[in-house]
Amino acid sequence: MSTRILSDFNLLIPETVDEALDILDRLQDKVTVISGGTDVLVAMKFKFETENAMSVAKLPGMDGLSFDPDKGLRVGARTTIAQLLNFPEVKKYYPAIWEAAVTFATPQIRNTATLVGNLLRGSPAGDGSCAVYALGGSMVFASKSGEREVDIDDLWVGYATTARKPNELAVELRIPAPSAGNINAFKRLTRVNEDLAKLNVAVSMTMNGDVCEDARVVMGCVAATLVRLKQAEALLKGAEINDESLAKMMSAVEAEITPIDDQRSTAEYRKMVSGVIVKRTIEQARQRA
Amino acid sequence: MNKLAVNLNVNGRNYDLSVASNKTLLEVLRDQLDLPDTKYGCGTGECGACTVLIDGQVVNSCLTLAATADGKAITTAIGLEKDGQLHPVQEAFVEETAVQCGYCIPGMVIKTVGLLEQSPEPNEAEIRHWLEGNICRCTGYEKIVAAVKSASKKMTNAGVKAVG
Amino acid sequence: MGEFKSVGKNVTRVDIRAKVTGRAKYAGDIDMPGMVYGKIIRCLEHAHAKVKSIDFSEAKKMPGVLKTLGPEDVTSKTYNQSVIDLMASAQEAEWMGDIEEQNIFTKHVKFYGDGIGAIIAETEEQAERAAAKVKVEYEALPVYLTPEQSSAPDAIQFVESKPGNRAFQLPAEMFPNNCLGWGDVDEAFKEADVVVEDRFYTPKQKQCQMEPNNYIALYDDEGRLNCWSSCQMPKLAHVKLARLFEMPMSRVKFNQTVVGGGFGARLGLVMEPEVCALALAVPGRPVKLLQPREEDWLSSPSRHPSDYWMKMGFKKDGTPVAIDAISKNFKGGYYLDGSALASTTGFWLQGMYKVENLRYRGESYFTNQPVCGAYRGYGNPQTNFVLEQLVDRACNELNVDPLEWRKKWHKTVGDNSWIGFTQYSSCALDECLDKGAEAIGWKEKRAKYANQTGVKRRGIGLSVGQHTSGAAPMILEHTTCTVRLNEDASAELLLACSDLGQGSHTTLRQIAAESLGFPIDDVHLDVGDSDANGFDIGAHASRTLYVGGNAVKQACEDARRQLFERAAKKLEANADDLDINDEKEIFVKGSPNKSISAKEICEVGVYNFVNHLTGERNGEIGQIQSYVSYMPDHNSPPFFCTFVEVEVDMETGEVKVLELVSAHDIGRAIHPAICEGQMEGGAQQGLGMALTEEIYFDANGKVKNNSFTDYKMLGSSDMPKMTNILVENPDPYGPFGAKSVGEAGLVTPVGAVANAIYQATGIQFTQGPITPEKILKAIREKAAAA
Repeated sequence: MSTRILSDFNLLIPETVDEALDILDRLQDKVTVISGGTDVLVAMKFKFETENAMSVAKLPGMDGLSFDPDKGLRVGARTTIAQLLNFPEVKKYYPAIWEAAVTFATPQIRNTATLVGNLLRGSPAGDGSCAVYALGGSMVFASKSGEREVDIDDLWVGYATTARKPNELAVELRIPAPSAGNINAFKRLTRVNEDLAKLNVAVSMTMNGDVCEDARVVMGCVAATLVRLKQAEALLKGAEINDESLAKMMSAVEAEITPIDDQRSTAEYRKMVSGVIVKRTIEQARQRA
Repeated sequence: MNKLAVNLNVNGRNYDLSVASNKTLLEVLRDQLDLPDTKYGCGTGECGACTVLIDGQVVNSCLTLAATADGKAITTAIGLEKDGQLHPVQEAFVEETAVQCGYCIPGMVIKTVGLLEQSPEPNEAEIRHWLEGNICRCTGYEKIVAAVKSASKKMTNAGVKAVG
Repeated sequence: MGEFKSVGKNVTRVDIRAKVTGRAKYAGDIDMPGMVYGKIIRCLEHAHAKVKSIDFSEAKKMPGVLKTLGPEDVTSKTYNQSVIDLMASAQEAEWMGDIEEQNIFTKHVKFYGDGIGAIIAETEEQAERAAAKVKVEYEALPVYLTPEQSSAPDAIQFVESKPGNRAFQLPAEMFPNNCLGWGDVDEAFKEADVVVEDRFYTPKQKQCQMEPNNYIALYDDEGRLNCWSSCQMPKLAHVKLARLFEMPMSRVKFNQTVVGGGFGARLGLVMEPEVCALALAVPGRPVKLLQPREEDWLSSPSRHPSDYWMKMGFKKDGTPVAIDAISKNFKGGYYLDGSALASTTGFWLQGMYKVENLRYRGESYFTNQPVCGAYRGYGNPQTNFVLEQLVDRACNELNVDPLEWRKKWHKTVGDNSWIGFTQYSSCALDECLDKGAEAIGWKEKRAKYANQTGVKRRGIGLSVGQHTSGAAPMILEHTTCTVRLNEDASAELLLACSDLGQGSHTTLRQIAAESLGFPIDDVHLDVGDSDANGFDIGAHASRTLYVGGNAVKQACEDARRQLFERAAKKLEANADDLDINDEKEIFVKGSPNKSISAKEICEVGVYNFVNHLTGERNGEIGQIQSYVSYMPDHNSPPFFCTFVEVEVDMETGEVKVLELVSAHDIGRAIHPAICEGQMEGGAQQGLGMALTEEIYFDANGKVKNNSFTDYKMLGSSDMPKMTNILVENPDPYGPFGAKSVGEAGLVTPVGAVANAIYQATGIQFTQGPITPEKILKAIREKAAAA
């Protein structure tokens, strides 16, 4: 394998969604969907081989981005990271996604890669995925049998594995409208600025003054998938956010995770900083409120 | 492997081609269209040596399937010069001595054009953030950043847009 | 500078328009009719193994395959891919124990990625697919990843002639007791008031030049072996290939292509032996070898990692009384420049401070890791990381300002240089230190950051260094240069000098123009190829401007002398009384009307006619040409310093490099922007070596981070605010007083950033690179111990 030459495959470029669903129904796990392709094509230069590839480049629609104060954010499957950065409501209501998008890879990748693609990649280090997981929402899949909505909490079933069925095409990501008092933020640690995360965190909290009524705290790079830090969430829920409650939360975070040593960092380091980063993410969210 | 018919508009010229399914735009530009200015540096979208403009947007040609670029307008470094006159961005790189070995430069110049197209007067932090994804091992980025600033001034003063 | 016309000016680089337009053609961009493609089969299963069998049968059947090659299909002559061995005398090479043990394709895999065979096919894709069908049987061998492991008594020997897998130690014939140095350190330590000592690790850093390793070779119908490569030292590569393939040099032609960065990775041969062997297998077909980036970390030489111990002793008043050091270099799988690097690491040490007693031992041990060779700085960055940190530790104990101590104790003009038996000819380090200190605000910040308690703490650190300008008199230094004046008085400069991107083709042209007295546009530099150009070592040891420049200067001054002598005859004046103006009119000083154009003189030298009536010629005959075969007697080491300010996050261990100021004793800046470029680029690499860059392995010796995904360098937004100061104090021997700058820029940022982190955290980090993981762990351990 070589980064100079892609593996061999049959390329299909359907021009309607129906055509695409037909292909998926017919070929199922013998076809790899290529949307932005910035992740898949790299994989295909190394170990990953596929008989067929289906590009969604010519499918109409699916690249939209819309916001409704009641329905929330709708992100089409082909919507790029760059598009998210240029959409004012993303920065205004979902700063966690916006922050993840700002440092997402490189400008070239941001022009090509899609948020939905990041979720479907299912990497435990996915920045966009981390932010979306904290915010909550659902992924809509289409197939010849119709449409199916899968809650974010049920999307990732294992390392790089999602609940998508082999004959399904992701069409849209839905993120609920922000509740009153919602604050959210995203943070990550890297080796240099342009990098995959060695640790990333996203929080989405419903605040009533200084009291946290509800919290979703997500951490990446510490397990086979992104994880919700349930113990930390439990400590935050109903608590007044102050130095004491944050310190308690930090200890819980350090104890809750079981990271490993890998290319980017060590288990020891990840444990040591985990609480600090969650605390700082919460502070970042609160500063904006 | 299958072959697909595509139409690519590269540096203002139309090409009707038959491309193999697994060929990237980078390979087609270099090997089929005989345009070696766009470079292979890593093949994984990290170094930016393969950067081209597709419909005015910077992308990694090493991660773009040629067949999916059908109908698009592509600009590479060699297409920036007009009638023997350097593009203001190229002029700025010359004047600031922002080039050493030069291998990263076609991609770097295109990246700069892409930046100034959407943000004609970027500040230093914006410039440095934008240049992420284009690796230079020779210059420490110092004179490249100076060149981007200079290009921005030149173009703002002359009232020219980046992608002409 | 008012006194010069070309020197000191930021003239437009001669190669820059080709590079900004994308017209510059690198080796990978060259196409030839009938071209075929090679693919090297590398062992990606083991770091140490015997190749039991290679089965090409399936591969041979693949579409487009022309040839498959294993070790038996190419020459079995061994070689050394470095070219540094060519630069030492045979006697010295023998004392040093230099060897040539490499094969083009090996049967004894010594590192992950070692090449064992190759495929040649009609297209690159076909070669790639066929390579995937090659079946290899290996016998795995124990893997040794450190000098400790490879020197263990039961370890398998890499080479019979190197027992204990010690590839090198300083030879007793040249260094009594295998030590470099003077005095008696053991005695001196007994008298020392302050002793500091530690063991350091300097990482396996990779050059990561942007141009991947691409080659073309053709064994043509005239029986000549042609090679196209971006080797830094084309002339030396030429002779190595001729020897390897047992051909006279006149039957080998080496074409240096535009070099897309080198930094030492291409100092010797990388894949020229392979591509030439492939070309010999398919006569008449040009073979192209295009290397995927991920193989660069495996197949071209990196910096030597080192286990570097040092001990320093001082008197209460700060006098350094002793330095004792042992550097154990991880050599990787093959010898290459095993002797040179371990030696120079000690030379830089002995060249820095006035210390009464010094002892240095340098060794290299084979390890099952990709090869190590030359990388910008060549042992100096390693010494800087160790020496400069120990100096700061001592200054802390002595309660002395690190800047003041260095100012007092650094070597200077007249002191024995790093070379040992020559003296420094110039030194402007004090001025560099003063200017650098002022630019960064050393005094104020050093005081301000002395006792911090917050989460974000700042620190400011300093490091000094000295390097070399060329390699004389230690190893061979030689440049030949021809200057020819065309009939229109434009000049052709023929010099096989190597421009790796550092700008030597431009600066040498400036020196030529200045020396001739010609406008720079009238001077053309032709590098040529191995047929046309003469001997030049190539680009290494920061030599192209210093040695090449003096060769050019000598040759041009001689051409000018010839021109003036002819003009003097015509003007009936003394050649010493002549000068030349911007229009190339040669005139008598004081009587500008008495003049003759250079063009007239040159034209009649070439177009010389016999008058049919008088039988006389119309002027002095002969095209003016000058040739020098220049071997310098001197070396003018530059001095330099770097100041770095960092901010450390005490809760995460993250380091932000806020500002970097470097000041360089350049002698004369021939092209200031080009000098700055070397310092700026060097800083990016030096900071990377200290903070983020390292090739690392799993327990089996497999390289884990051969990609930009996981080999991390400082990018555009990681770089600090930089100020680079050029201090001009002309050297008596450099061309127009110039000294080198190519490597120096990388050296002092290493020690300076480490020392800045020391002030910020109060902790010194001896294991490079200094990552947040190491910093936070140490911060927590220190807090726990308190």
